[in-house]
Amino acid sequence: MWPRVTGAWLAFLATLAAAAAGAPPPPPLAAEHLGIARLPAASPHWVWVFDESNNNETDMRLYLYDGDAHRQLGQVDTGYWPGVAMSPDGRTTAVATTYFSRGSHGTRTDVLELTDNSTLSITGEVVLPPKHAQTIPLHNAAFSGDGRFVYVTNLSPATSFTVVDLAKKAVAGEVDTDGCVLVIPSGPRSVTSLCETGRLLTVNLDDAGHEASRKMSAPFFNVDKDPIFVQGVRTANGIVFLSFLGDVYGVDLSGAEPAFAPAWPTMAPAERGKWRPGGAQVLALHRKTGRLYLQVHPGGDGTHKVVGTEVWVFDSASHRRIARWPVDVKKHGGVQAVLVSQDDKPLLFLLTESSDLLVMDAMTGRSLYAEPKLGQSSWYLLNP
Amino acid sequence: MQQRLDRWAERASRGLARRTSRRGFLSAFGRVLTGVALVPLLPVMRGSQSIAAEPAAKAATTDPNACEYWKYCAIDGFLCSCCGGSSASCPPGTQQSPITWIGTCHNPADGRDYIVSYNDCCGKTSCGSCFCNRNEGEKPMYRLSLNNDVNWCMANDNPNYHCSVSVVLGVAGK
Repeated sequence: MWPRVTGAWLAFLATLAAAAAGAPPPPPLAAEHLGIARLPAASPHWVWVFDESNNNETDMRLYLYDGDAHRQLGQVDTGYWPGVAMSPDGRTTAVATTYFSRGSHGTRTDVLELTDNSTLSITGEVVLPPKHAQTIPLHNAAFSGDGRFVYVTNLSPATSFTVVDLAKKAVAGEVDTDGCVLVIPSGPRSVTSLCETGRLLTVNLDDAGHEASRKMSAPFFNVDKDPIFVQGVRTANGIVFLSFLGDVYGVDLSGAEPAFAPAWPTMAPAERGKWRPGGAQVLALHRKTGRLYLQVHPGGDGTHKVVGTEVWVFDSASHRRIARWPVDVKKHGGVQAVLVSQDDKPLLFLLTESSDLLVMDAMTGRSLYAEPKLGQSSWYLLNP
Repeated sequence: MQQRLDRWAERASRGLARRTSRRGFLSAFGRVLTGVALVPLLPVMRGSQSIAAEPAAKAATTDPNACEYWKYCAIDGFLCSCCGGSSASCPPGTQQSPITWIGTCHNPADGRDYIVSYNDCCGKTSCGSCFCNRNEGEKPMYRLSLNNDVNWCMANDNPNYHCSVSVVLGVAGK
């Protein structure tokens, strides 16, 4: 505020000086015409920031932010505890959410809304069975590999997922997941869910979106001793998960059934159980370089949602730690979410408990920008 | 209340049975229907999650409006005690969630571990006061009966989340 006041005073004094010198006053400002801003061409350095709107949860939203221009480009409204998915080509955002006919109460309507990412306008909707899972947005909804279907997690508390046929703009059906949860797409027509026994359930769909077959994997992690976070990150051939104690579980989803790579630790023996990953969204992977990013904090059992004080960087091929980047927690709060862009000059985005968005060079860790308070309780990050 | 919960449980279980396979129905029922009235039917849960004892004992207070209050060892949301209710009652005009998840918290005042039920209170938008996020013994969503990330108002007529309570159900078995 003060610099602007100072500038205004300087301009005023300059005008007085010009008038005293007999110079003509500057011409008046031209009339403005109200218009609607257009988005520039999409950039790999765009990031979508999900705001849980903690104090008014029926009004959650996504902000689109440009990591190079350091400004917010627009917003997508997402209702009450949505699932959010980006189409494989990045052109469409699908939001599966709940609305109430009287704002906070009244008739519940669950709906899948499709937004054109080049205009941020809603282009269509499909009404859903009123039981979509109201939980965190990770793997809550997903596009099929070819973009034909959207899968929406249900929890009523029976578990299933709804299949939406985007070509017909209609619900194709519902698939019971036998207690397993969430929707991780693999291949053009397969959906993988996480199960209580530490297994993966994979359901294969036919071209109509109906179940053709299913397969339950062997257990690949210990649910009681060291559970994995539900957030998985896409790899070249599947997905990678992180456990509470910091072990990395790679899963190849390209075959007829999941294949599990041996787990490897991010924590040295002296660190294990004393440092650990935590927050809302704990893991990011730059697929081309294989660099793995996780936020960690010193803490014991029960601190798996405590925010990160450092970002640790690993080479996923050699399993070696490349860097430790401390976060200015005093200034920005600890880290809730981490995301990396997938281009050749990648940006690392950190979202803190104060909803500050930190933009960093993902290769060097150099801090490039800090956007303060981007939303109310913005704790998740997405990109296509 | 007992009758209402029983009616709800019957409706829910019949509905579940219609919509899911028998195995899926039984597993979903066993994992999820852990409301106050139903927990005594599930002895398997007793004493199963006493991970919380150490950290809770260190931080526990006697103030039900503080996140560190001993009963809140895995609560995630707004404390109903700051919203017109108490640590074990919902604010006026809201509805309690008949389904929930349960955990075990250590009470340093008497040295005992207690089974607690984390119910949500529903039907109004977020209270916005006294937000807490503690996770001792909490597990990811695939362990639904130990998860605090889902909206436990999901099966209410109005599933809008307002605040959370922690209700003592009994002493945890050893």
